[in-house]
Amino acid sequence: MTDRNNANKQMSLKDAVRKYVTDGCSITFGGFIGRDCVAAAHEIIRQGIKNLTVIDDSKTDVMDLLVGAGAVKRWEGAYLGYGAIGLAPNIRRSVEKGVPLKIELEDWSNAGISMRFLAGSLNVPFMPTRSMLGTDIVKYNQRIKLIEDPYEGATVALVPAAHPDVAVIHVQRADVMGNAQVWGFTGNDENKARAARHTIITCEEIVSTEEIRRRGNMTLIPFYCVDAVVQVPYGCHPQSCYGYYAYDVLFCGEYHESAKDRDNFLRWLDRYVLGAADHLAYCEKVGWDRLQKLMGLERRFNRIPG
Amino acid sequence: MGDKRYSASELMAIMTAKEFRDWEVAFVGIGIPLVAGITAKRFHAPNLNIVYESGCIGPQKYRVDFNVGDSSAADGALCLTSEWRVFSDMQCGYYDVGVLGAAQVDKYGNLNTTAIFGGQDYQSPKVRLPGSGGGNDIGSNIGRVVVMLRLEPLRFVEKVDYLTTPGFLDGSPGARKKAGLLGSGPAAVVTDKALFRFDRQTREMYLDTIYPGVNIEEIKALVGWDLKIAPQLKTAPEPTDEELEAVRAADPANLIMGGAAARKSLAGLDEYIEITVKNSGK
Repeated sequence: MTDRNNANKQMSLKDAVRKYVTDGCSITFGGFIGRDCVAAAHEIIRQGIKNLTVIDDSKTDVMDLLVGAGAVKRWEGAYLGYGAIGLAPNIRRSVEKGVPLKIELEDWSNAGISMRFLAGSLNVPFMPTRSMLGTDIVKYNQRIKLIEDPYEGATVALVPAAHPDVAVIHVQRADVMGNAQVWGFTGNDENKARAARHTIITCEEIVSTEEIRRRGNMTLIPFYCVDAVVQVPYGCHPQSCYGYYAYDVLFCGEYHESAKDRDNFLRWLDRYVLGAADHLAYCEKVGWDRLQKLMGLERRFNRIPG
Repeated sequence: MGDKRYSASELMAIMTAKEFRDWEVAFVGIGIPLVAGITAKRFHAPNLNIVYESGCIGPQKYRVDFNVGDSSAADGALCLTSEWRVFSDMQCGYYDVGVLGAAQVDKYGNLNTTAIFGGQDYQSPKVRLPGSGGGNDIGSNIGRVVVMLRLEPLRFVEKVDYLTTPGFLDGSPGARKKAGLLGSGPAAVVTDKALFRFDRQTREMYLDTIYPGVNIEEIKALVGWDLKIAPQLKTAPEPTDEELEAVRAADPANLIMGGAAARKSLAGLDEYIEITVKNSGK
């Protein structure tokens, strides 16, 4: 791993995606319907990358957009939906109608898939869990093995380690060396970064290594797990980023309404993703004023202490 | 519910709130379950602590969450940690009660949140639902489970299309323990017309409490098996003004209860921010 370490891993989102996200690779995204890698998903769509296997816990915009754009071949995960807003329109169209492509499904529970990332991060082949027992998750997913605990005798489920080719993780701040600091909940991100072969960190802010050292407890992912560091302000919009901006429920709701119809979804994709050269162009289309208001709202409640 | 002074969703939230006890640790999902949790804190369970699967333990609810990983879900939390850690804490038995929604439930309280087959199959169902999320884990390993869903046709079925979350499985004695599950299983099913519980011996769901103005025949017609009725069938009290006020305060812009229509009725982001800030106490 030492060959990935150097003083400056900063690059553009375009270059990071081009270098590490390839046709047919397996990928996982950080966040937990909050602190999501929306900007990275947009860039993957812009570059026309296809046949992805997404291994993940719970996803909303990132998967709905990628599936709607025809970038995904297979899903191994626990939840695809829009929380209080509803079901995921592009996921439904793909699974029920095969439009634009039918994705293969492998269902897990959130704890089950969490144990796959933990096993990957521990470099052990599997983990036992007491989830999913007695259900159809086990019936349809042949990779979950039921065994008798060799010490105590009760039944437990074994899940295999996950080793995605790439993890993309959005954090509040990082230095160019690749130390990634998270403020707020952490999902499975520390394990995703360690389980993956390559890790791209996108962040709201680049800070000095000196600033990282002031709060070493906040470093969730140290430099040696990281291949690329990309500054992408507002990179989670319309999802939230703790301490930086609030969830844009109205924008997300509008997307959800339009994505229910395939043609309207394609128009949305043209307008906000394919018709935007990069993430800054997306932000301009959304409106800097709107983004700043979301930041103003969030910072009434939370910010990283100075 | 037409001219009633409350909606079906509001009544469901109030009935669910009564299932929480003070000082419990509750694993709740967003939406009406969370509104129920906040409502319980206003009344009989002020020390209820909420945990979200994103890794948020004991947040203070200044604003409404739309997803379990909204930054609002972390507001003022006692502990912010990882997803795998909170599920491990659940497996260790630290969490008392979980609230789950579902598209289908069967007579043993098994839940389906994965797919409605509609004559088709798992890979090509009529309706693909979100999947387990943390639902299976809650149903497997939390102290007890409260299920919330509307009593509508084809939801209360003899057998769920896909068993995502375990209730009492096939209802046989000790079925959960034999499967390796730790939690005690479903304690109540809260709907918009009635509340159901489970027989201690047969593990079968029965009608426990009927809501004002609803009759038994109406309920039986919507349940896909020969529903048993509690010998002392209870009638739920009408919600009080204080309870309704608490439910509405937990969802001030009506975006949880009101859905897409409520989103469209807002003038825009400015009005949303104004309502959020005004009701946050901050």
